Amino acid sequence: MKLQGKTALVTGGRGGIGRAIVSRFQQEGAYVYAADLSEQGSLGIENQECGHFLKLDVSSEENVKAAFTRVTEEQGKLDILVNAAGIEIEKTIEDTTLEEWNRSFAVNVTGTFLTSKYALPLLRAAVTEKSTASLINFGSYDGFIADPGLAAYCATKGAVHALTRAMACDHGPQGIRVNAICPGYIDTPMLQSFFEGEGSGGEGGTIESLQQAVRDVHPMRNYGTPTDIANLVNWLASDEARYASGQLWVLDGGLSAQVQQMKL
Amino acid sequence: MKLAGKLALITGGSRGIGLGIAEAFVAAGAEVIVCGRAAAADVPHQVRYQQLDVANTTAVTGFIEHCIGRHRRIDILVNNAGVQVEKNVIESTDDDWDQVMGVNARGTFNMCRAVIPLMENKGSIINIGSISGAVADPGMALYNASKAFVHGLTRSIAVDHGPHIRCNAICPGWIETGMLEAGFAAASDPEAARRDALARHPVRRFGKPEDVASMALWLASDESSFATGQLFTIDGGMTASSPLNPALF
Repeated sequence: MKLQGKTALVTGGRGGIGRAIVSRFQQEGAYVYAADLSEQGSLGIENQECGHFLKLDVSSEENVKAAFTRVTEEQGKLDILVNAAGIEIEKTIEDTTLEEWNRSFAVNVTGTFLTSKYALPLLRAAVTEKSTASLINFGSYDGFIADPGLAAYCATKGAVHALTRAMACDHGPQGIRVNAICPGYIDTPMLQSFFEGEGSGGEGGTIESLQQAVRDVHPMRNYGTPTDIANLVNWLASDEARYASGQLWVLDGGLSAQVQQMKL
Repeated sequence: MKLAGKLALITGGSRGIGLGIAEAFVAAGAEVIVCGRAAAADVPHQVRYQQLDVANTTAVTGFIEHCIGRHRRIDILVNNAGVQVEKNVIESTDDDWDQVMGVNARGTFNMCRAVIPLMENKGSIINIGSISGAVADPGMALYNASKAFVHGLTRSIAVDHGPHIRCNAICPGWIETGMLEAGFAAASDPEAARRDALARHPVRRFGKPEDVASMALWLASDESSFATGQLFTIDGGMTASSPLNPALF
């Protein structure tokens, strides 16, 4: 029970990766808010056991203020904030509308800004001599190297990486650690949508053959699961990671450790 | 004539990338000495060729003493000599280690140690690193590691021997040399392999020795006087994109 007595809030908490984080935090003894647009989340699952639901659009300042007012009233502190809410527009910049671009930044970047901004007083309130507070953002390996046709997404994740380092510098002295998880290919609705997307299947490929091909490119010969991500988030959230801050933690089965593969 | 009056030393300069750099430096007005392992090499007539095994410390010392006799200072050093052995860690022998680390790591170190005192507080060292020093090529364990050594040494020299000596590395991607052609020839379908590889390059071509040479020329010239300790990747955009491209399956 690494997180006994701690309070956590996970945005996108009813999504693919978010649910795994929320339930892991609960197993570790934390009091967890699952903040999301809807109780069912992107998975459309009716599971009210997965954290205390908090309706939240991270791109709305009023929503975010209201959410943290509730956390203040109910808990008076917040030990862990996980910014896992995110959207992905599968287009090049030429095909991306201004509205889609703005929406990408509103959720992925402004959302991270707003929740962090209003969580900071609560995070400071959680810091003790023995315990730090932990803020965990979601970057992506796409913030380092590009996937084709994901321009706005790549740009938002690069912004989250820089923001992570900036916040780590600014709030480290207050006992708040700030890190980002940079997932590679993780089995989520976002990935399945990518598999089903236009131009993703190659010539005459099925979703199954595409999935296998994606596995084969990874040194670990598989893509990741939300549980893999939750395992690292759990460590970063816990006091075992008390010296870890300002870092971008790539978790991608070794995908980005390799050069492009020559077809032999 | 960006390099007029300057003396440049280029290791492994008798072919491929090294030769391209030698030609560019000559065109920019530099006096160029190229060294390689062979007793003789077919280099442009303006270039002086010297036999040298950079992995051999005694040979490097002797070569430098010989140079001092005829040239008071060296302005530019390009550590381009490199070898590769296509094996993973388990397959690699002690001889492989000696060969790859000897040329790529010790050779670069030997040349830097011997030449820095001759730069008389002004000089540019250009090491040839590799994209493989940052991301791994499969089955090239010692080579990848040796290039990471070059990257680390590049930063160390920049930090220790600034402000007047600059040291940078160029990290080439796939450059059209005999090595790349041999790779395609070994593929089960060479043409398909070539098409696939091209599709992974945003500029839709492989690099040429001139592409690396033009960066080397800039790093050798005073135009780059604020650039030091950095790794400059020239790979047609390949490592900017994910190695996983579903459109190519």
